[in-house]
Amino acid sequence: MARDPKHDILFEPIKIGPKTMKNRFYQVPHCNGFGSEKPFSQAFFRAGKAEGGFGGVATEYCSISPESDDTHRMSARLWDDDDIKNLSLMCDMLHEYDCLAAAELWYGGPHAPCMESRCVARAPSQIPSDFEYLTYAIEADKDDIRYLQQLYVDAAKRARTAGFDIVYVYGSHSYLPQQFLTPFYNKRTDEYGGSFENRARFWRETIEKVKEAVGDDTAIAVRMSTDMFLGEPGTQLKRDCLPFVELVDHLVDVWDINLSGIAEWGEDATPSRFYEQGRALPWQAAVKEISKKPVLGVGRWTNPDAMSDAIHEGKLDIIATCRPSTSDPFLPKKIEEGRLDDIRECIGCNVCISRWEIGGPPLICTQNATAGEEYRRAWHPEKFTTAKNADNDVLVVGAGPAGMECAMVLGKRGMRRVHLVESADDMGGTMRWIPQLPGLGEWARLVNYRKIQLDKLKNVEFIPSTTLAPEDVAGYGAEIVVVATGSYWATDGLNGASHDVIPGADASLAWQATPDQLMGEGKTLAGDSVLVFDNDGYFMGVSISEKLALEGKKVTLMTPLGHVAPYMHFTLEAPNMHRRLHSLGVEIVPYHLPSRLEKGGVVATHVYDEHGAERTWDVDGVVLVSQRRSNERLFRSLKDDIGLEALKAEGVDALYRIGDCEAPRLIADAVFSGHRLAREIDSPDPSVPLPFRRERRVIDPDFVASERAWHESAMAGTA
Amino acid sequence: MRTVVCIKQVRTLGDEVEFTDDGRDVDPDYVDLALNEWDSFATEEALQLKERLGGEVVVVTCGPEESEAALRRCLAMGADRAVRIEGVAAHDPIGVAHALAEVVRDEEPDLVLCGVQSSDSVQAATGTALAELVELPRVAVVTRLEPGDGKATAHRELEGGLVDVVEVDLPAVLTIQTGINQPRYANLRAIKQAEQVEITVRQAASAPAASRVRRMFVPPRGEGAEMLGTDPGEVARRIADLVKERTA
Repeated sequence: MARDPKHDILFEPIKIGPKTMKNRFYQVPHCNGFGSEKPFSQAFFRAGKAEGGFGGVATEYCSISPESDDTHRMSARLWDDDDIKNLSLMCDMLHEYDCLAAAELWYGGPHAPCMESRCVARAPSQIPSDFEYLTYAIEADKDDIRYLQQLYVDAAKRARTAGFDIVYVYGSHSYLPQQFLTPFYNKRTDEYGGSFENRARFWRETIEKVKEAVGDDTAIAVRMSTDMFLGEPGTQLKRDCLPFVELVDHLVDVWDINLSGIAEWGEDATPSRFYEQGRALPWQAAVKEISKKPVLGVGRWTNPDAMSDAIHEGKLDIIATCRPSTSDPFLPKKIEEGRLDDIRECIGCNVCISRWEIGGPPLICTQNATAGEEYRRAWHPEKFTTAKNADNDVLVVGAGPAGMECAMVLGKRGMRRVHLVESADDMGGTMRWIPQLPGLGEWARLVNYRKIQLDKLKNVEFIPSTTLAPEDVAGYGAEIVVVATGSYWATDGLNGASHDVIPGADASLAWQATPDQLMGEGKTLAGDSVLVFDNDGYFMGVSISEKLALEGKKVTLMTPLGHVAPYMHFTLEAPNMHRRLHSLGVEIVPYHLPSRLEKGGVVATHVYDEHGAERTWDVDGVVLVSQRRSNERLFRSLKDDIGLEALKAEGVDALYRIGDCEAPRLIADAVFSGHRLAREIDSPDPSVPLPFRRERRVIDPDFVASERAWHESAMAGTA
Repeated sequence: MRTVVCIKQVRTLGDEVEFTDDGRDVDPDYVDLALNEWDSFATEEALQLKERLGGEVVVVTCGPEESEAALRRCLAMGADRAVRIEGVAAHDPIGVAHALAEVVRDEEPDLVLCGVQSSDSVQAATGTALAELVELPRVAVVTRLEPGDGKATAHRELEGGLVDVVEVDLPAVLTIQTGINQPRYANLRAIKQAEQVEITVRQAASAPAASRVRRMFVPPRGEGAEMLGTDPGEVARRIADLVKERTA
């Protein structure tokens, strides 16, 4: 198929200073957990997007000095010449696809805790970070300022040597240049603080120096947040940003315009729960109106019509994506080929971001199980090898996220026949009702994408409304059986805080319910008040609370944890979730564990109360979001009651289980589980994941000798 | 009870369509093949009758060798025998009915079931033409079937949600509507077994073709359509004005 002419604008080249980008698709800087120290994972991850058609791809934030060390979080680094070598692989691989490479030069100031380098950062004023704990910076004097600016210049030169086409002087997310620009961070009274001209001075001078150093053949990008949503002290579009654009527009080759400070950067990397596509467009358009240079901006863009409109309407020049390019690295190619229904749209769950916030681990993606696996498992999001045992027929029982993904990948790997059998009348499993929770509508994209793909696969048949008994499975005629029957919420209050059930908890009673019952089975609770007990810690407890509060109930949300939904801190959903629960009048009771449930009341104790003093909450109903249990009855019956030998006699050579049926997990991990099994269905033992390539330093005798010699001389002060 | 079920392998289209060079058919590259949805309900109905009353289910289709996939799907569901008739143009319901009539006469069934229509041609003619040719009574658009002694009671779906309950002498030709039952799935073992069944292939006797395809095309987009906006009140006023204008 050919692309729709209305999307032609997305494929027009555009000049960025001394460089030309082949189209309007650009991956803005975003973290992936690889940095400079996992160079192969880094390069293959970014190159996947270049292969998928992106015209420009950036690193994540790229530290310019040990003073800007974000450990435990993982940034790229250009501290010394060895870092050049590691990042040059990424540049080389991008260039193989005619894709521009960008490096986002970053200095964190007080936000970088320097836990590896043990350095101390410099900053405009000595106020601890609003993002980190216990991190103070040196209040920079004029020498410090010149030192800092030289760090940018040196790093820019290294970036150019590595092969980068674009270097950023990165201010957004409350980093150093924007700290100078913003009264919230800048309390100075010298020529670097106070008036707009003074607050802008550091950033202007730094851009000038970087331009002077590398600007003849390297494009200069400036990433600026145009509203921190901090009121008067925060960055203001009209007071600070538009004047800054006028001040330095002649020095800048491309503007990367976004929103937010670092403490609530979910206002930039917007969860779909709170914001739709293109949220920052009014701010981006305001910059575009006064700048003569190209403007790019994120907006969780997945819809090519909206992308084209944004350019046609003069609001943006370049469509910038991070999450949608991870969810589907082939977004540009699919638009170019008119294969819009093959686009794996980002669902905006921010599980990718959660990994950066946790600090360290590689990113994962709910939609794209291959994200982060490009190098270490050699998984390609669009290419599938024919399985060596493709002459087998496969039965997948359960069409939830894991089962759908597994059947889809098995289909793409050319298995002779794949039957996906589901007891409900449609695909999705719990993902049929999870998107019906408040704000989670876009999560339905997970099911929709797979439904469309499965429908296209001629070797996959979906069989709805069919519950298979163990003997039905045994006699089904499949050589390979995959059980993907998911999990259910415990009905007895079993939880990870007490490692026990809660006396009186029994969701078969009319006044108690689990999420499965409320959302999947239509159970309702009588009365005006309800207590939601949440020891899950992610979206379910708060979502159920929000839903019940919206229905008019007085909701108490109790958790033995110190915060409700602590994982939503990592997905950047926490601040707005708290605002929403607060505005709905939901009473939050942290650090409390029910000791027993009684009709009309929940008796609970403070988890740190040594005497176990009890207090009673008078409520009409209780929702148990305590923990999930694998729905493993079918698997156990096949393995234990019928037995593998008897199955073999029926022609079943292999029995596997995937996803929540094995153990409950994130949706992203359930999808991964199904994908992994299908990718390795022809491995020696598909039940055990194949080892992945580890990027570690492996030492050999020569290296050991040289390192020991170095250490000895360092100890002696002669190194 | 012996039931003959007349089925068709239909062609389904994706978003894009190209035609053959002579402009008289869809390019096979743009076509997927499937058992006609109505016929899966007819097959299920026949299988349920067999389960209650005994007998056998014979599925018949007109088409080239590739249409045997549809017959095998019915065999996997539980049909006992399958017959494929070669040498008939699939687009011509009267020609198809002539070919099917030969098999029906030979099989001497107690009941003949067809789908109401095929999803690709949507002519709803084959079943009725077949009934005429084999001189059997026919009931169209059946949504419920109760066999009795030498006769059957059938519910016919009429427009506006009306239902006509009729009694018909057997043998008869019935065209089956979707939703009359829940067609069973075929498990992999049944599909594998159906692959081994020998399908009877016979040539159609020459019969006069009642129709031929002259041209196939995507209708050109018309002009002069006027969008009346989105506000219901405004749309209603505009429609009222237009009616007055055009009828004045």
